[in-house]
Amino acid sequence: MRRRNLAPYLFLAPNLVLFAVFVLYPALNGVNISLYDSTNGRTFRFVGTRNYRELVGTDAFREAITNTAVFVACFVVLATVVAVGLAALLQRGLPGSGFYRAVFFVPVLLSPIVVGLVWSWLLERRGGLVNTALGAVGLPEPGWLIDPSLTMGVSVFVAVWLHVGLYTLIVLAALRAIDPRTLEAATMDGASARQRFWHVTLPQIQPSVLVVVIVSTVDGFKTFDLLYTLTGGGPVGATTLLLQYVYEQAFKPPIRYGLAAAGSVVLFLVILAVTVVQFVVARRRELL
Amino acid sequence: MSRGRALTYVVLTVLALLVIVPIAWTALSSFKSPAELAQRPPGLLPESFAPDNYVDALGRFRFWLYLRNSTIVTVLATVLTLLLNAMAAFGLAKYRFRGRGVIFGLILCTLMIPLQIIFIPVYQVAADLGLVNTLWGMIVPTVATPTGVFLLRQYMLKIPDDLIEAARLDGASELRIFTTIILPLCAPALAVLTIFSVVWRWNDFLWPLVIAQDEQTYTLQVALARFAAEEVIPLHLILAMSTLTMLPVIAVFLVMQRHIIRGAVGFTP
Repeated sequence: MRRRNLAPYLFLAPNLVLFAVFVLYPALNGVNISLYDSTNGRTFRFVGTRNYRELVGTDAFREAITNTAVFVACFVVLATVVAVGLAALLQRGLPGSGFYRAVFFVPVLLSPIVVGLVWSWLLERRGGLVNTALGAVGLPEPGWLIDPSLTMGVSVFVAVWLHVGLYTLIVLAALRAIDPRTLEAATMDGASARQRFWHVTLPQIQPSVLVVVIVSTVDGFKTFDLLYTLTGGGPVGATTLLLQYVYEQAFKPPIRYGLAAAGSVVLFLVILAVTVVQFVVARRRELL
Repeated sequence: MSRGRALTYVVLTVLALLVIVPIAWTALSSFKSPAELAQRPPGLLPESFAPDNYVDALGRFRFWLYLRNSTIVTVLATVLTLLLNAMAAFGLAKYRFRGRGVIFGLILCTLMIPLQIIFIPVYQVAADLGLVNTLWGMIVPTVATPTGVFLLRQYMLKIPDDLIEAARLDGASELRIFTTIILPLCAPALAVLTIFSVVWRWNDFLWPLVIAQDEQTYTLQVALARFAAEEVIPLHLILAMSTLTMLPVIAVFLVMQRHIIRGAVGFTP
C-alpha cells in the first residue's frame, strides 16, 4: 500500500525535476538577473532597476517593441483568416482535398532556417524567381528585402506560409465536428451560403478559432529562426523583433547580459498579458 | 454549384503552388552549377542532375559532424521526452494524490512559456551546470515538454482503470503496469509524439545556437544559419544543404502522412 502511495510521485519526479530546473526556476530567476549588470554572463554587479530604465530610453528597444507588436498582430490576424478560409475550402470535401491538405501542411515540418534562406533567395531583387516572374509580365520589381516599407509585410507573409497548415488542420477538425443538420436547417430557412457561414458555422467553430489565435500569438512572439535567415532583422532593424534584440544584447559584443535579461522579462510579461487577456475574453464569451 | 466548385479548385491550386514551387525550385536549382544559377533569366531544369553540389557541400564543411550532432540531439531528446512525459502523464492520469491539481496546473501554465521566451535565464542555469558547448545542454532542457505530458495524459485517461486494478490483483508492480499495460496501449499517441519531437528537435535553432558556441557542437541548423549569415558559403552549396535538410522531413511526411495529420491537431508546439 505504501509503495502505491509513493508511485505517482516517483513517476512524476524526473519530469518535475527538469521542469523545476529548466522552466520554473529560470522563469523566476530571470527577474533577479535583470537587476544586475554583466558584460560576460559570469560576474554580476547589482544595479537595481537601471536596466529597465535604460531599455525604455533605447531607440532600438522601442523599435523592437513596435516591430514585435506589428508583426504579431498582422501575423495572428492573417494566419487566422487564411486558416479559416482554407479549412472552409477543404471542408467541402471535393475530390483531391486530402492532397491539398497534405501540401499545405508540409511547410509546418520544414526548418524555419531553411525556409528563411529559400525565401530570401526567391525574393532577391535582381534575378530572384519572384522578380523575374514579375518582370516577365512587365510589373515593377521591388526590393522585397531591401525596402524597409516592404520587409515587414514579407516577413509576415513567410511566417504565415510556414505556420498556416497547422492552424488550418485545427479549424478543419472543428468544421468536421459541426452537426450537418444545423446547416441543413439554415438552408431550409433560406439562409444564403454567406449567412450560413457567419451565423451557423462560425459560432460553432469559435473555440477552435480561439485556439488558433492563442497558438499563433505564441508562435509569433517566438519567431526568431525564420527572420534570422530571411531578413537578419534588417534592413536597419526594420524587422528586428524583441527576441532577436534580447539575443543580440546577450550574445553579440558588446555583451549586456543584464539588459538582455530585462528585455527577456519584458517579453515574458507581454506574452503573459496577451494570453491572460485572450483567456479572459474567451471565458467571458464562454468559449473555454 | 459547379462554378463554386471550379473556383474552389482554382484557389486551392494557386495556394498549393505557392507551397510547392519554392520547394521544387530549390530542389531543382540545387543541381545547377554556379554559372547556371547566375544565368538571367534562370533556366527551369538544371543541365544535368549530377550531384556535384552535394559532393562539394559534403566535402567542404564538416557536414558529417553537424549531421551527427543533429542526429544525436534529435534521437536522445526524443527518447527521453517519450519516457519522461509518459511517466509523468501516467502519474497524473491514473493516481489520486496530494498536489495533483497544482502540478497539472503548473505544467499547463508553461504551455505559454516556451523555452525560447525565457532562454536568457535558462542559459544561466545551463552555464552553471557546465552544459554550454555540450550536446546534453541542447537535449536536457527541452525534454520536459508540457505538450507531451498534456496529450499523453489525455490519451491515458481513456484507458479503463479496471485493467490496472486487475493487474494489481495479479500482483504486478506499478512499474510493471506502466511498462506492460500502459505503454503498449499508448502506442498510437507515442508514435505521434515521436514524429513531432523529431521534427521539433531537428529544426530547433535558437537554443542550439546559444549552447553550441564551438563548431564541435554545431547542429545542421546552426551551421547552416551561421555560414549563411556570414556569407561564406556560395549559393549552390546553400541550395544543396537546404535541400538535404528538407528532403528527409518531406519523405517521412509522405510515408506517415495520415498519422501526422491526425495527430497534428493535438500537438501544437
